Amino acid sequence: MSSDIKSALEKFTRKALLEVAKQNNINIPTNWSKSLIIELLALNVSIDNIQKTKIKPLEARMKTEGESAIIIRDLVKKFEDVTAVDNLNLEIMEGELFSLLGPNGAGKTTTINILNGIIKPTKGTAIIAGFDVTKNAADVKKIIGVCPQEAAVFSFLNARENIELFGNLHSVSKKEIKERTDRFLELLGLVDASSRRAGGYSGGMLRKLNLIMALISDPKIAFLDEPTVGMDARARRKTWEFIGSLKSENKTVILTTHYIEEAEALSDRVGIIDYGKLVELGTPEELMERYGAKNLEEVFLNITGRRILEGI
Amino acid sequence: MQALGALVSVELKKLVRHPVNLFMNLLFPALLTAVFMFTFSDPELGMSINSVVPGLVVYAVIFLIMTVAQSFSSERKLLRRLNTTPMTSTEFIGSHIISNMIIAIVQVVLVLVLAYLLGFRPESSFEGIIIALPVTAIFALSSVGLGLITATVSKNPEMGVGLSFLFILPQMFFGTFMPLSSSTQEIAKFIPSHYLFDALKMIFEGNWMNTNFLLDLTVISIVSITIVVIGILLFEKYGSE
Repeated sequence: MSSDIKSALEKFTRKALLEVAKQNNINIPTNWSKSLIIELLALNVSIDNIQKTKIKPLEARMKTEGESAIIIRDLVKKFEDVTAVDNLNLEIMEGELFSLLGPNGAGKTTTINILNGIIKPTKGTAIIAGFDVTKNAADVKKIIGVCPQEAAVFSFLNARENIELFGNLHSVSKKEIKERTDRFLELLGLVDASSRRAGGYSGGMLRKLNLIMALISDPKIAFLDEPTVGMDARARRKTWEFIGSLKSENKTVILTTHYIEEAEALSDRVGIIDYGKLVELGTPEELMERYGAKNLEEVFLNITGRRILEGI
Repeated sequence: MQALGALVSVELKKLVRHPVNLFMNLLFPALLTAVFMFTFSDPELGMSINSVVPGLVVYAVIFLIMTVAQSFSSERKLLRRLNTTPMTSTEFIGSHIISNMIIAIVQVVLVLVLAYLLGFRPESSFEGIIIALPVTAIFALSSVGLGLITATVSKNPEMGVGLSFLFILPQMFFGTFMPLSSSTQEIAKFIPSHYLFDALKMIFEGNWMNTNFLLDLTVISIVSITIVVIGILLFEKYGSE
């Protein structure tokens, strides 16, 4: 029985284990490791007690209502000795705006790059709209739009030409390209600069163009890797409105960001990864309630503070 | 076809809008033509202008190696992004091949028009000169291939430009009108530009309907296609990482 309890407990995060202990009136020194906590809890709690706990294990929070747009199973990516993504399991639902948060080097961009086919995983699978990202890469590329972390645009083309190119690569009709380009340029306030070459754009303007290029094909699933980094506060708010509007079009959006308030304002659910592992998952409200935090930033610091203190 | 057309259009826009490309692909051949035509028009040198012009065409096209190498080494970030779209590698490489063949044709026209204005009078008919365009365009494939090979081993655009001279210089000195000794003539047989130079010379002399021309054309075609295939394979395997 003790081994059943242990395996049930192993599915919890360290934070959740401490909560289980608190609910069962068990005092645990804060510096104890996860395995020690599990050993102690296994001696003192029953399976019933664990099941009654308010905090569900991560595994149970993987899936919410609806159809899965993205299914990630046991995903691992190693770069020589470094494990950038470590046994990641996650499901993202259709029409969901999902934010992936984590400190620098936590594995967010590597995960995104695996999902959009830029790099191959070392192990595990990732399914996007029913297509395996490694076996059916061509099918995946038809339904995704990718806004990379670094603005990647042709500097000698103007905004319209850059956007048109990506529309053409996705075989979008000329009429649709024109309509969407006009709409997106208007929404992001880039109309006046649209006939100027991108090489002369400010960082914020490049970011906006980067984002429009990702969405011109009207993708079912959009990967936005830190889309607002380097934008001033006003431009960022405008871009948030734009990203938020994608939800009304039932698009699945996977957003990585360092602006925690951005994730809090936009996301249906948030996943926090650290050292390549998913360490927390839930709606912003759930996470704030679980950690007794006033905002998502407090939750984030609570979970990843250890790493920040280590100066990594 | 929509993707291919769009990519070719981007490459051609780069030719006229990117200062380095504009200089290397159009202004530099024009400048070389002017300088060489003035230099070799001096009868004291005993060199015929008509024997210099085929070499100037070759010079223009071999410098495509540098622009291809520079372009592929500098666009890795964009290449990664393009890789997330449904664009196939055939469309991507194909667009570079088509655009560079078009550039090669533009270069031939530019060099010939400028050379004509400066005193070059080919002995072949106009129709004969037209044949120089596809022959040079086929040779441009080898420049694309060598540019891809250079980009594969180059970590950045500067390295790409520097390394491209490993392919440019031998073709300039052994494959054109530079005087060759008997030993360097042997080396020239292994230099692709030697065959283009020879073929263009026959065209401009109005003497291209013969087996020697066909032999040159065969060598140019086989060597160029082989080099571009090797370039594509190497770049896809090692260069786009």
